Formats: sequence, C-alpha cells, structure tokens
Amino acid sequence: MIRVRKLRERVREWAAEWARRRQGPDRLPLTLARRRLYILPTRAGVAFGALLLTMLAAGLNYANSLALLLTFLLGGFALVAMHECHRNLLGLSLLEAAAAPLFAGTTGNLRLTLGSASRLTRRRIQVAVANEAAVALDLPAGGRGEAALPIRAPRRGLHRIDRLRVSSTHPFGLFRAWTWIHAPITLIVYPRPSGALPLPADSGARSGTHPRSTAGADEWLGLRPFRDGDSPRQVAWKAYAREAPLLVKEYGSAGSPLRQLSLDAARQPDIESRLEQLARWIVAAEAGGDLYSLELPGQRIMAHRGSDHRHKCLSALASYGS
Amino acid sequence: MSAGALKVTPRSPLLWVCAVSAAAILLHAAQVYAWITIAGLVLVGWRLAAAFGRARLPGGTVRIGLGLSLVAAVFAQFRTLNGLAPGTAMLMLMVTIKLLETRTRRDQYIVIGGALFLLLAACLDRQALAWVPLYGTDALLCCSALAVVAYAGDEALPVPPGLGTREIVGLAGRTLLYAAPLAILLFLFFPRLPGHLWAFTPGDDAMTGLGDTLTPGGITRLTASYAIAFRVRFDGRPPPPAERYWRGPVMHEFDGATWSAGRYSPGEIQRLNCLSAPYRYRVYLEPTFHAWWLALDTVMASPAPDVRYTDDYQLIATQPVSQSQTYDARSCAHPQSLAPLSSAARLADTQLPPGRNPRTRALALQLRHRAGSDVGFIRAVLTFLRTNGFSYSLTPPPLGPEPIDDFLFDTRTGFCGHYASAFVDVMRAGGVPARVVTGYLGGQLNPYDGTFVVRQSDAHAWAEVWLDGSGWTRVDPTAVVAPERIDHGILDLLPNAVSASARIVHAWPWLNATLQRWDALNGWWNERVVGFNYRAQLNLLGDLGFHSPELRDAAYAFGVALLAWLAWISWQLGREGSLRPRPDRLGRAYARLCRKLSRIGLPRPPHQGPLAYAQSITRHRPDLAPQLGPLLESYADLRFGPTSAPTPDHDLRKFERSVAQLSVRRLQPR
Repeated sequence: MIRVRKLRERVREWAAEWARRRQGPDRLPLTLARRRLYILPTRAGVAFGALLLTMLAAGLNYANSLALLLTFLLGGFALVAMHECHRNLLGLSLLEAAAAPLFAGTTGNLRLTLGSASRLTRRRIQVAVANEAAVALDLPAGGRGEAALPIRAPRRGLHRIDRLRVSSTHPFGLFRAWTWIHAPITLIVYPRPSGALPLPADSGARSGTHPRSTAGADEWLGLRPFRDGDSPRQVAWKAYAREAPLLVKEYGSAGSPLRQLSLDAARQPDIESRLEQLARWIVAAEAGGDLYSLELPGQRIMAHRGSDHRHKCLSALASYGS
Repeated sequence: MSAGALKVTPRSPLLWVCAVSAAAILLHAAQVYAWITIAGLVLVGWRLAAAFGRARLPGGTVRIGLGLSLVAAVFAQFRTLNGLAPGTAMLMLMVTIKLLETRTRRDQYIVIGGALFLLLAACLDRQALAWVPLYGTDALLCCSALAVVAYAGDEALPVPPGLGTREIVGLAGRTLLYAAPLAILLFLFFPRLPGHLWAFTPGDDAMTGLGDTLTPGGITRLTASYAIAFRVRFDGRPPPPAERYWRGPVMHEFDGATWSAGRYSPGEIQRLNCLSAPYRYRVYLEPTFHAWWLALDTVMASPAPDVRYTDDYQLIATQPVSQSQTYDARSCAHPQSLAPLSSAARLADTQLPPGRNPRTRALALQLRHRAGSDVGFIRAVLTFLRTNGFSYSLTPPPLGPEPIDDFLFDTRTGFCGHYASAFVDVMRAGGVPARVVTGYLGGQLNPYDGTFVVRQSDAHAWAEVWLDGSGWTRVDPTAVVAPERIDHGILDLLPNAVSASARIVHAWPWLNATLQRWDALNGWWNERVVGFNYRAQLNLLGDLGFHSPELRDAAYAFGVALLAWLAWISWQLGREGSLRPRPDRLGRAYARLCRKLSRIGLPRPPHQGPLAYAQSITRHRPDLAPQLGPLLESYADLRFGPTSAPTPDHDLRKFERSVAQLSVRRLQPR
C-alpha cells in the first residue's frame, strides 16, 4: 500500500516536472489556455467507467435495448461531464498571487485573486500550493474571487513558492481538470522572534543614526501607505494630487530611545539564535516606538522606525546568509 | 422556501443519496416480494433518522449481522442467489446496508453506483414504454446526486454555499440532454452481438404464457391476465375469427390428471397439402421464457434457422424466448396430411393411463360401438357434450382423483382445458388417435396500427383427432358448449372471468380506443426500440448503403457519428461560456448588414459608427449611397435615437426587412 502511494507520488512528481519543462515559466496575470489544461478521470470516474463496462456487457449479452440505451446515455453523460469539467477551468485567470511576510513557525496566507471572464459561474475551483491541501471557491460569471491558501513557514529565509495547482472536479466528480502554474512567488519568512536578552540600552551617542532624528519636537519620519484609521490630517494630499497612492506622513516624538542592534550585540550560541534574538528586539523596539538601527556583516540599516523600516530590518534578517 | 432556494449543505449529499436509494427500491417495488421493499425502505429511513440525530447508526457487528441475515432471507425466499430476481433483491438490500454506513464521499458514490445498477436491473426486467419516463427520472436523480456529492466535496474542503437544487437538477438534466444524441447514435451503431456471452435463466415468476403441461383448470391463471402475448400483422387478408387459432405446445401424454408433451419420437415431418390460400403474417412475440414460438394454425415452415419445426406442427426454438421476437410465418387454415399416420404415432396418441377414469372409458366404448365411423364417433361425443347440461365457466368446482370422470359425469362445468382434455380422453378410449393442442384463440384488431393483439386472456386449448383420409383435424369441443367463445373474446362470454379493470376497458369504447392508440405506440416501441437487435442493425446498415454489412462498417459509421457529436458538444458548451453576450435583435440585423457589405469588400472597421460607415461607403461606392445611407441612418436612429418613437417594433421589423432585401454587388473591374 505504502509502495503504491510512493509510486503514485513519484509519477505525480515526474508529471509535474514534465509539465514545467513543457509550459515554461509563467507570469501573472495569466489565463488558462487549452494547452496547459490536463484532465484525467478521478477514482470515482474510473469506478463509473467500470460500472458502464459491466452495464454494457449485460446489455449486449441479453441484447436488451433499454439497458444498452441506459448505458449509452450514461456514457454520453460522462463524456459531456468531461467537457464541462474542462470548461470549468478554461479561460480562468490567475490575476495576483501574493503572500505577506511572516515569522518562522507561524502560518500565513497566500492570497490568490482569480478572475473569470465568462458567462459561466465557475464552481469548485480548487487552488493549492504544489501538493498541499486545496481551498475551493466559486467564481461568479464575469467576476473575481479570492482564495487564501494557508502556508506554513518552518524556517526563516526567502522561500520560493514555485508551483501552484488549480484544479476542479466540478460538476460530477468523475474527472479532474487541472493545471500547474509556475509563477515566481517569493515568500519572506522572518526569523522566529525569540531570545531572552533585553533590548540594548539607549545609545546616547546617536552615532550613525538618521541625520534628521535630532530635529525638533514632532520630527518627520517619512511617508508610509495609508491604513484604515489614519487621520485625514496626516495624509500627504500633495503627493496624492500628483497621482501617487494615498500616503500618510509619519512623525515621531523627539527623544525616543535609540537602539543599535547588531549581530554582535545578540550574544547567542549560534547564528540562527542570534537572528531570532534580533528579530525579537526589532519587534519589541517597534512596539515600544523606539528608533532602531540594524547592523549585519556587509549591511547597515540606518536608525528609523515604522512598519517599512521594520520590514526592511526583518527582511535583512530573513535573507541573511542567502 | 422554494425548491430553487435550497442550497447544498453538509447534509445534502446524504439526503440525496437516501433519495436515490429509495427511488431505486421503489422502482422494483411491484416486482419483488413486499418484505424486501419494506426492509429497504426501513433501512433508508433509519439512515435519515440518524442524519437528523433521531437515531443511532448501527455498529459494525450489527451491520454484518443484518447483512448476513438479509442474504439468508433472500436465499430462503428464492432458493438461489443466481438470476435476475434474487440478484436484484440482493442488490437492493446491499445498497441500503451500505447506506447505513455511509459517511465519506466514497461511500456515497458507491450507493449511487448501486442505484444505477438497480436501474439497469429494472431495464433488463421491464422494457415497456410506460416505464421509460420513470427510468429517465431515476437516471436524472442519480446524476443530480452525483453533482451534489461532488459539489459538497471532501471533509477537507469546506462546502461553498450557493448551488441551488434547481441548478443542480438543471445541470444534470442538461448534461443528460447533451448526451442523448450520442446515446441514440451508439444505440444504432454500436456493434451488437448475434448471440449471448453467457446463459440466462429467469426465475419461475418471469414465466408467462402457456406451459408445457395442461391440467384441466390450469389455464385460469393465464386467462385472468390482460397482458399481451403477441401481436400479428397480416400481409393481406386476415383470417376470419373462427380460424384464429394460434398453435402452441401440443400435449401427447396423459397420466389421468395432467397432460404433458410427453416423449413423442419425432417422426418424419409430413408435407401439408394446403386446401386454401395460405396466410402470410409477421408475429411480434413478447418474451415468454418458453421455447415455443406461436403461429397461426397450421404453420407450414420454420420462420428461423434456430427454430425447430416439429412433426406435430409446433415451432420450438433452441433458446427460450427471453426477449421479444419478430418473425414472418406462413400458415394454412385447411391443411390435409398426405401420408398415413405412422404406427408409432398412432400408438402414442391412443395411449391412456391404465385403470384411470373408468366411467369415461365405458362411455367412449359405448359411443364408439354405436357410431359407425370415427367421424360418427366424434359427432356422438360432441352431441353428448351439447345435450347433457354442460356449461362454460372459468371458476368450475374442483375435480376429484379421477378428474375426467368427475367432469363428464358430476360437475359438468368447466372451460377449454376441461373440454379438450375430456374430449381427447374419450377419443383415445374409443381408439381414435387424438392430442390436446394449447395456444390462443382470437385476437383483437388495433385499428391504429393494423395489428391483431392476442392477449394472455385469449389462451385456449382444443383437440386434434386423426381421420384417415384428411389427417389431423381440429375439433374444438369448447365451441360446442360455448359457441360464442369462437367469435368473441372471453370478455364477452364471461365478463367476470377477468379483472375489473379489464372489464371497464372493455365496456367503454373511448377508453378502449385510447388504449388501442397506446398499444399501437407500444407496438412501435417494442418493434423499433426494444426489438432493435443484431439483425435489425444489419438491416439498418444495409439501408444506409453499407452493402456488405459487417461489424467494420458499423464501426466506421459509429466513428464518424461520434466525431460529429464531439464537435457539437464542444461548440455547444463553448457557446454557453462565451464571453460575448448574444446581441439583441437590432444588433443581429445590423451584424447581418455589415456581413453583407463586408462580402462585397466594404467591411466596417470596428471603430466606425454607423454614420461614419455610411460616409466611407459613399466615398468608395457612391452608387450604393442612396440605398445604404438611409438604412444606416435608420439603424443609428433605432439604436441611439429617442425611444419615444410610437412604434419601435414596427421600425425594427422594417429595418430587418430592408436588410434582408438588400442586394448589393461587388463592383466589376472594368
């Protein structure tokens, strides 16, 4: 049994690789064309076929017209079902695929946006990362839908999600039509925040900090994308008038402590633990509203704060060494 | 809450699967023992109750015990598990036991598969036209259940809301509808088998029609049935009612109570000298599961190579009639045997069990002694039957251990079986070779398709005696007692003999007429659809121009048809999902106009509106301007103008007409 499963696994892997070579790399958005749609009977479909063969044998043996008519009707039914299953995917578009960065050890979502330019309601479209569990969704005629695929990130780093599978067994579960999509999707996995060391003390020297950080009271920190709940007064309307996206001016209060974070400061036995300690510090500093800088071998990020800065710092940790 | 508003919920697949099982059971309710139907429905009810939390599902041990005891019950009932009827019963119970343990999608698929197989069993069992709508509905139900189960998906996937019941049934129905042309093509062209792959033995229940034995009183079960035995279409003049004797099994051996075919050494078939023009006709025989093929008395040759023509003029096939048969035959109403009766045949047909029915024997000897000849003897016996208070009844009193004596001297009430038995017994006792012939008498003309319908209620038995000089001669002693039986069906004679419904039909002419139409439709169905077999398929291929009909030709014809169907399905399904909405009437008319113009080299660029198009046409083909200018303007008016026009429909039709009448030519190069 296990051997059969292994064999099936291997065949599936081989087929996927064959499809990758055949299809070449993909770019989003893409619309599923005939050339890349594959279809095979499901296990239920194979059983249905066996049932039809038995019925055919009985009908032929007894030269029973009605039994034959029923068999042929069901045979035609299966063939039409195959076409319908194929059509359920044909012309479907994958518009976007993006995943927010996440910490190692947590689960996040890969958000897929699917679009259907068709008069059909597309039902039971199943999307999955490679061979993981699928998520199903229905797409209204001419509409779009979103699916959130749960993804787990066991290790920090820059992970490539290199294969998506879009499939459907609608309408009768006798056939499964599917395609593989090989679009480059990078998933940034931050190190898991951990480590018990306290944040490095405020470095009064402020050496190597952001030059403007010494400016007067509400110092201007930069622009960041608008988020729900932001005050309209903070919106950078001038930038918006120049057709830029809606941005918000960020200010910080003067006199925030400055934390200088570096690999050396995180005194941990191994490099991964150090990165995890740094991640924890970054999270804590950001939460405390502190200014923080990050120094890694060959890389230096000026002291700053805000979500962009946090992402920049954590990403640097994520990609460290790669 | 309307039906369309019902949505697929986590419970829906189970409900659908229960419905499918219940439908499959009810499909067989009239054919199987009542306890099987009830057991099946109880199990379905149990599963439903469990689905709603009203009952607990049985554990594995209980299920296995239940399964085994039901198998044992079926075996006890049928004494076998082999054959269509016990197999169907088994399948019914297995499907419902499977239903009891249905939890996953796989289980649900298995139950639906079982239900489809039960539908097949019903098709094998009954092919009457009246069942077809039910079969169709059941197929639709099964396919819808497939869709529901597939849609609800695995436990791993949440059920997306939204698919309504109406949509599901619509989906399954449309898919079946698209499949129908293929089903018809396959039906016509899929190579049929000339014989059987494996043999087929029906249960006793399936046997209808005449048996191979005759006990005085035994035909009652048949005469109560209004079912059709066979239909006949005469080529030319049909025989008068008095000649509509349909010959079936012939009985030679009598043990004092029961007649049977007996061991009658097949002699040489004696050529018949026909004293009148033979009748030519085609018989559509319903399945009887007996080997006899019915034919008008006396048939002159075998209608098919695998049907034996015996020396007592029976047609006996090598296989029981398990499917309806169509055959052409020729019969002679007034035959004459040329050769003398062989001594073996004379011996066999004057045999009587020693010591049985002594009073009859005494009567026969007395009558034979008084009569001068065999013919005189026959006349005397018939006179005896006519003058001694004999009466015709389908519910005669039971007969004792010497049935012929009891009948002739005590009860004196009976029907054809009694009279024929008694008459042949008397003849043999008097030394005249005689035999009992069973078959049918009568037949009702269906004016809608010109066939004679012979029903089981027309079953009859008569006698044949050997007369030197003229050979085997039919004598119907029943006719002496009840002469009306010849001219009328049994219904006129004994209205109480058959079921109440048959009496009602007989009493109301309009109902009778409706039924005759229905019979005619059934006749078409049985002949063209049910009876479409290997031979009919070869004929069809011959008609289509395949002059040497072989399987290869069927395969070619089928391949071409399959490709055509596949193309049609692709196109049809593609059209449904097409991106572009179908334009309205005005848009279609405008598109027709643009196509016409593009054919003469004036295509409309996609960016051009109607008025700009008119201008560009005027530039290229000034000669067309007076025609096309107003036309394109009227399109612009209809499409973009104010909608307050008093008769927009009138204008639209006018536009359509102008487009249709427009005739433009390409400019000839000079």
